[in-house]
Amino acid sequence: MAPEKRPNVLAAHLNPRLLFLTGIVVIVCFLFQQNLIVRIGQVLVFAVLVVLAGKRIRIGYFLIMVSSITVFNLLTPVGEVLLRLGPIVVTRGALRQGLMKGFAIPGLVFISLFAVRPDLRLPGRLGGLVARLFFYFEHLLEGRKRIRLKRFVDSVDELLMDLLQSTTASVARDGSSPGIRTTHLGYLFVSILAIANIAAVVLFGSF
Amino acid sequence: MKVPREARYDAIALMGALCLFFSTLEYLIPKPVPFFRLGLANLPILLSLSIFTPADVLLLVALKVIGQGLVNGTLASYVFLFSAAGSLASVAVMLVVHRFGSRWVTLIGVGVFGALASNSVQITLSVTFIFGDAAWVIAPLFLGIGVASGFMVGLVAERFRARSRWLGSMKERYRGP
Repeated sequence: MAPEKRPNVLAAHLNPRLLFLTGIVVIVCFLFQQNLIVRIGQVLVFAVLVVLAGKRIRIGYFLIMVSSITVFNLLTPVGEVLLRLGPIVVTRGALRQGLMKGFAIPGLVFISLFAVRPDLRLPGRLGGLVARLFFYFEHLLEGRKRIRLKRFVDSVDELLMDLLQSTTASVARDGSSPGIRTTHLGYLFVSILAIANIAAVVLFGSF
Repeated sequence: MKVPREARYDAIALMGALCLFFSTLEYLIPKPVPFFRLGLANLPILLSLSIFTPADVLLLVALKVIGQGLVNGTLASYVFLFSAAGSLASVAVMLVVHRFGSRWVTLIGVGVFGALASNSVQITLSVTFIFGDAAWVIAPLFLGIGVASGFMVGLVAERFRARSRWLGSMKERYRGP
């Protein structure tokens, strides 16, 4: 049985464009954060928000990523020697730099995962083009079970021929945002998120 | 001949949707090596080289990158920047190879050049911004994977170009009534 899809708690309270703009503010603050402990704390908060947004986090993947980035940075010693592990010299500067970079990656991915939704509509002509893209994408997905790996080219071609004959792109030509209104709770949430991240960078960052 | 804008946009959007669709299908294909990505999403871009104008191929690539960013939720992360930089390098190289070498180079060759360009840029970015100089040691492995995936996608593209009825209809649609 397929795993049950988690509900997106954030989507019920927030317009996708407001959430995206809040995400941009948070990204800037996160990147300027220079305190390692605060950065790790931010990553943990963002992970919770990803779960609230109904998405799954591959913990093992991110642990491997943080570890490998840290190890690669340790290969260039900087500052006081903390430990010697055979040929590898663990230095304070390299360890700090490695962990800062290592946690930056999942942090940025987590922000993006909770702040970007497929129903985000971009403005202007490009937004209209993206809307058409998703119109066709949804139609293609409906026919995905017709694809056979053994006759991949032919089955894709048949699906595309049917699509070409049956659809007209009667999709929104502009990039207007879908009608999800932000609730009071949603405004409270984005305010707290933005203010907390701005405060963190003012108090501990490099501003 | 000037291509009507509506017809152009429809054709580009459909090709972009095909990129996203192939990206989704790729999950169904077993991977021989962990982290190996076949890059099937590049197949429509290879096919578009002989249909679209260079400007529209670039627009298609932009659409593919934005679409993937929205579907995967990576639009506001480093993944998006890496993907955009890799795709831009790849399409630039593919356009040049296809424009000046299509008499001698098949879509397989074009695909290999594109994959090499994309992987080279992504390795350079990850060494510069994430892993540090020590990570150059894994560059040959990733370039090797790039050659293999570019070859396979190019092979499928050649086969598709030879057999597809849809591609002919797509050309007509792009040119408009």
